Amino acid sequence: MTLHRTWAALVALSFLTAALTTANPTRAALVMGVLALAGLKYRLILRHYLELWQSPAWARGFDLVLALLLASFAGLLLAG
Amino acid sequence: MKYQTQKIALAYFAVAMALFAVQVTMGLVLGYIYIQPNFLSEILPFNVGRMLHTNSLVVWLLLGFFGAAYYLVPEESEREIHSPKLAYLQLAIFVLGTAGVVVTYLFNLFDGNFALGNEGREFLEQPKWVKVGIVVAALIFLYNITMTVLAGKKTAITNILLLGLWALALLFLFAFYNPSNLALDKMYWWYVVHLWVEGTWELVMASILAFLMLKLTGVDREVVEKWLYVIAALALFSGILGTGHHYYWIGTPGYWQWIGSIFSSLEIVPFFAMMSFAFVMVWKGRRDHPNKAALLWSLGCATLAFFGAGVWGFLHTLHGVNYYSHGTQITAAHGHLAFYGAYVCLNLAIITYAMPALRGRDPFNQVLNMASFWLMSAGVVFMTFTLTFAGTVQTHLQRVNGEAYMDVQDQLWIFYAMRFGSGVAVVLGAVLFIYSVSFPRREIIEAGVKVPAE
Amino acid sequence: MPAPHAVSSPDAAPDDGAGGLPGEVMIWILIISELAVFSAGLLALLAGRLTDPAGFAEAQSHLHRVGAAVNTVVLVTSGYLAAVAAHKAGHRPTVARRLLMLAAGLGAVFLAVKASEYIDLFTQGIGTETHPFFTFFYLLTGFHAAHVLAGMVLLMVVAIRLAPRPVGVAAAFWHMVDLVWVLLVPVVYLL
Ligand code: HEM
Ligand code: HEM
Ligand SMILES: [Fe+2]
Repeated sequence: MTLHRTWAALVALSFLTAALTTANPTRAALVMGVLALAGLKYRLILRHYLELWQSPAWARGFDLVLALLLASFAGLLLAG
Repeated sequence: MKYQTQKIALAYFAVAMALFAVQVTMGLVLGYIYIQPNFLSEILPFNVGRMLHTNSLVVWLLLGFFGAAYYLVPEESEREIHSPKLAYLQLAIFVLGTAGVVVTYLFNLFDGNFALGNEGREFLEQPKWVKVGIVVAALIFLYNITMTVLAGKKTAITNILLLGLWALALLFLFAFYNPSNLALDKMYWWYVVHLWVEGTWELVMASILAFLMLKLTGVDREVVEKWLYVIAALALFSGILGTGHHYYWIGTPGYWQWIGSIFSSLEIVPFFAMMSFAFVMVWKGRRDHPNKAALLWSLGCATLAFFGAGVWGFLHTLHGVNYYSHGTQITAAHGHLAFYGAYVCLNLAIITYAMPALRGRDPFNQVLNMASFWLMSAGVVFMTFTLTFAGTVQTHLQRVNGEAYMDVQDQLWIFYAMRFGSGVAVVLGAVLFIYSVSFPRREIIEAGVKVPAE
Repeated sequence: MPAPHAVSSPDAAPDDGAGGLPGEVMIWILIISELAVFSAGLLALLAGRLTDPAGFAEAQSHLHRVGAAVNTVVLVTSGYLAAVAAHKAGHRPTVARRLLMLAAGLGAVFLAVKASEYIDLFTQGIGTETHPFFTFFYLLTGFHAAHVLAGMVLLMVVAIRLAPRPVGVAAAFWHMVDLVWVLLVPVVYLL
């Protein structure tokens, strides 16, 4: 993926986030949707801006920790 | 010993070890006062003994660092020390200052005097004139070492060592600033105390350990240096804002609770890295260095520092926990194992490594030395456990149930008695160590070799 | 995000960085450390929120969400410029220099938007002790803004004496600032 496509994808994801937050979804859908979009942005930045695609093992490690983190966010957000 | 001026280290180590003996003996006296509160109460009140215990600790550790620098800098930069005369002058100033401190405390001289009286802040009690002496001596030291390094080869080890020592000296300047507002006083006090042991001293520790690993395991310098830089970066990243773990209850704004909890939790990482570093180097190392005792002290240092500073530090560093445990025996447990593991063992490691060369005798007494490691370390570890139990019980009775301080202390007697017992082991271990590096002329196991074959 | 194995990485392959991480090992250590710090702070915020969800929601409603969205676009765009600059640093120094300056300029835009939000909150009398939410808010966004400022300085410094390595390091730092922001916005502003 080229840099300018990464940029375009990031901006598109940001607009999606804005659309989601203004569309009055259920709480659970909002939490899961916004966190999923954030996770996608995170991965794009890491892989293409920071070029982590060059090192698949590290990229997987970061993905794993990101997944755990977002799951904890979601758990804490939906618990209260 | 390749360079003549490395000999300077011998004088520093000798004074350091003498003070080490004083320090642990004084600890034993304190430990005895805890179980027999009237012991020596007229001649040596607890607070005076405590000052002597903690101050001699800090002074001998610093003298050990100076000695270590005088020993390893010539070897690293491949130059003689810039000026041996200045090095001995620096030591003389320190000895004079220490003597002044001891006399001032013991006889409580000049109480309240601006320049001559003690200043009553833990660890920084020294009268002002001694503090000035310390600064002068530190400047002499830095000048001497920096000139040596600048003239010779610059290595990662000397870079980090110098960074640590310069920052150490600069931070000491905060000892002169003693605002009358108690909260501000504490705030600046920690700039010295915390930023020393969890910042600059850690850099010194990492570089001395790196030197020892380089010499003892024969691993490539490049590998050692990479680790060293990473450890230094991790230490500074976590340690500087980690100061926040002392700002929970002194009147500083509430956000320090989060800064302190988060950054100081990360402080465990550099200590873990140092332990991994030491063990990985030994596994990878090809050299079978004869000084097994120095290796034992080095590995013991990295391991016990991880437990004392890292694990025992983390134990009470989150503000939710510290709210209950603040200033209990848990703090003392942590203080002992952390200081012992990180800085006592470090000094004893470099002393063990350097002494044979400094005293010009190759067979050094490893068996006794290694026995002293196990005796002393077992003593300190056991002391840590007794104090941790004592602290847990204290926290519950005093902070949760709200019992009165002295009522709780009465109930802790059994722990204090056991602490005293472990203290005896520590003192014996220290005596054994000092004997083993200073006196025997021949290796014990040599006797067997010399028995003629039948 | 904490990556616990990071500390042993320098040794994993001493010659090619840490097991093939692109760029300098040290900057990765910084990135991981910063992510760990911000993740811990965000988790602490959410844990604190459990004790008072209504109070947190009320406090959150004072923030400038649109400003945050604008700032996201500003930052990822700036990150894009820095990434391109890192690629061009070797063969198109003049272009790279302009891109770095532009990236730093967008950093200034970010800070201006941020400042307008802070000023608005201050004029409402909202400080760090007003509510636990605001303690976290000021801490997390303040730390982040400090990194934006540091990153801008870094971008401008490497633009002056342009060379591929330092530009790569500065750009990586800048991307870290993006990463943190992407995690921070949902938790602090949106959810
Ligand atoms: C190398 C060994 C030792 C080190 C590194 C060491 C270090 C320290 C430190 C850092 C403190 C201040 C703790 C704080 O502020 O919380 C302290 C206090 C103390 N130490 Fe030691 N010490 C050592 C040996 C001993 C020994 C052998 C004993 C004897 C049992 C002992 C008994 C005490 C006592 C009773 C205190 C005062 C605690 C209080 O104020 O309640 N120490 N020591
Ligand atoms: C070698 C490094 C370290 C040494 C020598 C050391 C030593 C000490 C000493 C002597 C004290 C008592 C100070 C006083 O109140 O008089 C103390 C307090 C404290 N230390 Fe450490 N420490 C080290 C590392 C750490 C680390 C890495 C952590 C956290 C992970 C930590 C957490 C704490 C905390 C939270 C307190 C305050 C305890 C209280 O509230 O009473 N320390 N440390
Ligand atoms: Fe501390």
